[in-house]
Amino acid sequence: MLVHSRKAKWAVWAVFLLLFLPLFALPLLVVLGASFATHWSGVLPSGLTTAHYRSATRGEALQALTTSLVTAVTASLLALATGTWAALAGAALKKRHRRVLDALFVLPVAVPSVVVGLSVLVAFSQPPLLLNGTRWIVIIAHTVLVTAFAHQSVSAAITRLDPAYEQAAASLGARPAYVLWRVRLPLLLPSLTAAAGLCFALSMGELSATMMLYPPDWTPLPVLIYAATDRGALFTGSAVAVVLMAATLLVLFVVSRVRTRASYR
Amino acid sequence: MGIRFDSVTVAYDGNVVLDSLDLTVEPGEVMALLGPSGSGKTTALRAVAGFVRPASGRVFLGDRDVTDLPPYRRGIGMVVQQYALFPHLRVDENVAFGLRARKTPKGEIRGRVAEALEMTGMAAYARRFPRELSGGQQQRVAIARALAIRPDVLLLDEPLSALDAQLRSGMLAELARLHRELPDVSMLYVTHDQVEALTLADRIAVMDAAKLRACGTPRQLYRAPTDEFTASFVGGANLVPVTVGTGGVFFAGTEVKVDTDGVIPGAWATLCVRPHLVGLGEGPNQFIGTVTEIQWRGATHRLYVNVDGHTVMADLRELKNPPGLGDSVSLHFASEDAVLLPAGVSHG
Amino acid sequence: MAEAVQKARVVRGRSRSSPRPFGALVWALPPIAALILFFLYPLALVVQQSFHPDTGGTSLQPYADVFASEGFRHALWTTVWLALASTAGCLVLGFLLALVIAFVPFPGAKAVARFIDVYLSFPSFLITLALLFIYGTTGIVGSFQFLTTPWGVLLAEVTYFTPFVMRPLLAAFSQLDTAQLEAASSLGARAPRIVRRVILPEALPALAAGGSLVLVLCLNEFGIVLFTGAKGVTTLPMLVYSKAILESDYPGACVVAVVNVLISVGLYGLYRVVSRRAGA
Repeated sequence: MLVHSRKAKWAVWAVFLLLFLPLFALPLLVVLGASFATHWSGVLPSGLTTAHYRSATRGEALQALTTSLVTAVTASLLALATGTWAALAGAALKKRHRRVLDALFVLPVAVPSVVVGLSVLVAFSQPPLLLNGTRWIVIIAHTVLVTAFAHQSVSAAITRLDPAYEQAAASLGARPAYVLWRVRLPLLLPSLTAAAGLCFALSMGELSATMMLYPPDWTPLPVLIYAATDRGALFTGSAVAVVLMAATLLVLFVVSRVRTRASYR
Repeated sequence: MGIRFDSVTVAYDGNVVLDSLDLTVEPGEVMALLGPSGSGKTTALRAVAGFVRPASGRVFLGDRDVTDLPPYRRGIGMVVQQYALFPHLRVDENVAFGLRARKTPKGEIRGRVAEALEMTGMAAYARRFPRELSGGQQQRVAIARALAIRPDVLLLDEPLSALDAQLRSGMLAELARLHRELPDVSMLYVTHDQVEALTLADRIAVMDAAKLRACGTPRQLYRAPTDEFTASFVGGANLVPVTVGTGGVFFAGTEVKVDTDGVIPGAWATLCVRPHLVGLGEGPNQFIGTVTEIQWRGATHRLYVNVDGHTVMADLRELKNPPGLGDSVSLHFASEDAVLLPAGVSHG
Repeated sequence: MAEAVQKARVVRGRSRSSPRPFGALVWALPPIAALILFFLYPLALVVQQSFHPDTGGTSLQPYADVFASEGFRHALWTTVWLALASTAGCLVLGFLLALVIAFVPFPGAKAVARFIDVYLSFPSFLITLALLFIYGTTGIVGSFQFLTTPWGVLLAEVTYFTPFVMRPLLAAFSQLDTAQLEAASSLGARAPRIVRRVILPEALPALAAGGSLVLVLCLNEFGIVLFTGAKGVTTLPMLVYSKAILESDYPGACVVAVVNVLISVGLYGLYRVVSRRAGA
């Protein structure tokens, strides 16, 4: 509708592919290719092998995968609960108060993750809450980092929610708690699952704060990938990275199935 | 149970949207709140439902002052223009919602839901989701949902405006039937459509610019309006300025015979005659003008006639030989069909 | 008597109306308390620590030390120009790509848009990992020391953050009434003119939103820089990490952290104020 001649269209598409493929598709393909290779000095990888995957799905790597999954699931659920609570409470506030609340909850997006890591490290390495060296310090940092995103997407969904539903429910005699449980939360369910997926993906890939905090017995996947590449084991690192991507996509896929069912009911 | 507004004023940010409304809806009565958009009629309804808080004044349901009660304690049925059916619940679950919220015993819910769906003719659709229904069906479910809680008061906020013209007249008849079946339920019916108000209401409250202009039976408001706004909004009217002297009432230099009760001699007043009560040709209260426009409307012809600078409309049964543009015609009306109103601001 | 009853009722009415906003505030307290405990209080401790040198006492000494060091000033400059350049690159590239997807659609354009969404759910360091194979010492292009320069980081950041601009843009474009475009082109406007006069004004809020987010994310980016393994490219987040974890210089790390937070939050706050003004 913008470009009409056939020739011009093809030219535009060619430029698009020339920009899009090398920039966005190539990196992922390279990581995928490298994960099956032992050498890469030409145009294509060589020495095809699945050995990296054998090591990437057992022992240390398998433990890192469970660590990442447990951290991401816990952090996203905590973040979703906090963010949703804050968004629901914010919706009932006066405009002036709501702005303060929104600003507070958006702040973790603006603060560098490394600094969040440093601050959590400083705060919880001393009494009264001595958490340094435990898995909880990692989970707390992840929760802080992703709560902002959960809060933002849920409060956007709440503003889109038609107040007519709540009012219809109230006129039928439903108390606020009943309205929340039987009307507002079910209507928000698609947005809630979307927010959960976002939080999960962010937490799975979180590296900055984790690098500041992780105890030796709680090493998530990104840290393991960094450790591998840092000691020069790029190909093993790639295989672990592919495992990370696959696990993230799998969970996102399941979440999106739940979402479709929720919105088409 | 009746509804009573006791000088209810509603303001948003110092903007008065409902100005000290006094109005009583008798038990079992259908009261239409009729007015253009922004006239405050929906605000009045929402004050009864509890969604807006009056800045001053009280709202009563029966003898109970409900001004400070939250909506869920008022026991009111409400139906809105966009239905607001819960999209995640099936039809029967929607209808049962109010009963469940009130912790009605399970065994009773089933019967009450069936009854409400039966009454609105939606029993066959009980297991459908709202999005699987047409607009008219959704509105029936919304009505069933409101009736299931057996309210004493039913609030209807433009319930038919989202439907097309044909469905609307069908639903109008349906609502009239429901009212006959539930003679004890008071209904407050907000609409901007005078046909709906005239058809359904026992009494009509005409609202304009946040104020109540007139209140009476449809017949009273139509036959004997008391102000210009009501006259033109309910049914359409010719409103022409006349002088009221001691010698009689004069329009365009000719005397018209009309009841002058309550009008001060020597002042300006407005003469109100319905277009379909204006006749063509010789008769009492006759005056002459020039045809400026003719519209053929099938069963009728509408003539726009310029009389001494004022346009007079006449709806006449289809004419065999209609006059042409610019023709001089004489019009007349019967004295009992005309009403004299106090002059509006426009003629000041 | 009746008057007294009336009066009492009015007073009771007032007092009953007040609990609602008050109750709403009470409900907002638990999440705020959690935020304070796990985010604001730790942040405050960082600020406090930045005024406490290892030698003891409270002084501006850590700030003086950090500001005096060549490494910090270099990192500050690198961080800011990299973030600005990456943001500019993302805006231009993102706008062009989104334009093609939305208005010169091709078979599979939907799949590309879906791919963009998936892309957003991957961590940033994957890009650097891939670039290591392409430009690294044993890479496709050969042992070209490109990655250890800021240009390598710039390329990785533009690659990773461009989708963050494209997503709000695609959402904004889908809202755009195609009748407007058809009207414009029926009036004889050519493509560049339509883009400039019709599409760009509509896209501005989305560009501003995406751009500001990318700016902040670039200022705070850590994974991309860490994975290059380059000693030559040090940004503020890298400096925080190396001071705290590698050198155990906590006051110094806290000083850099405070500076980094001030820049990021300042820019983000500025953006929110500006966008609210522009929106109102």
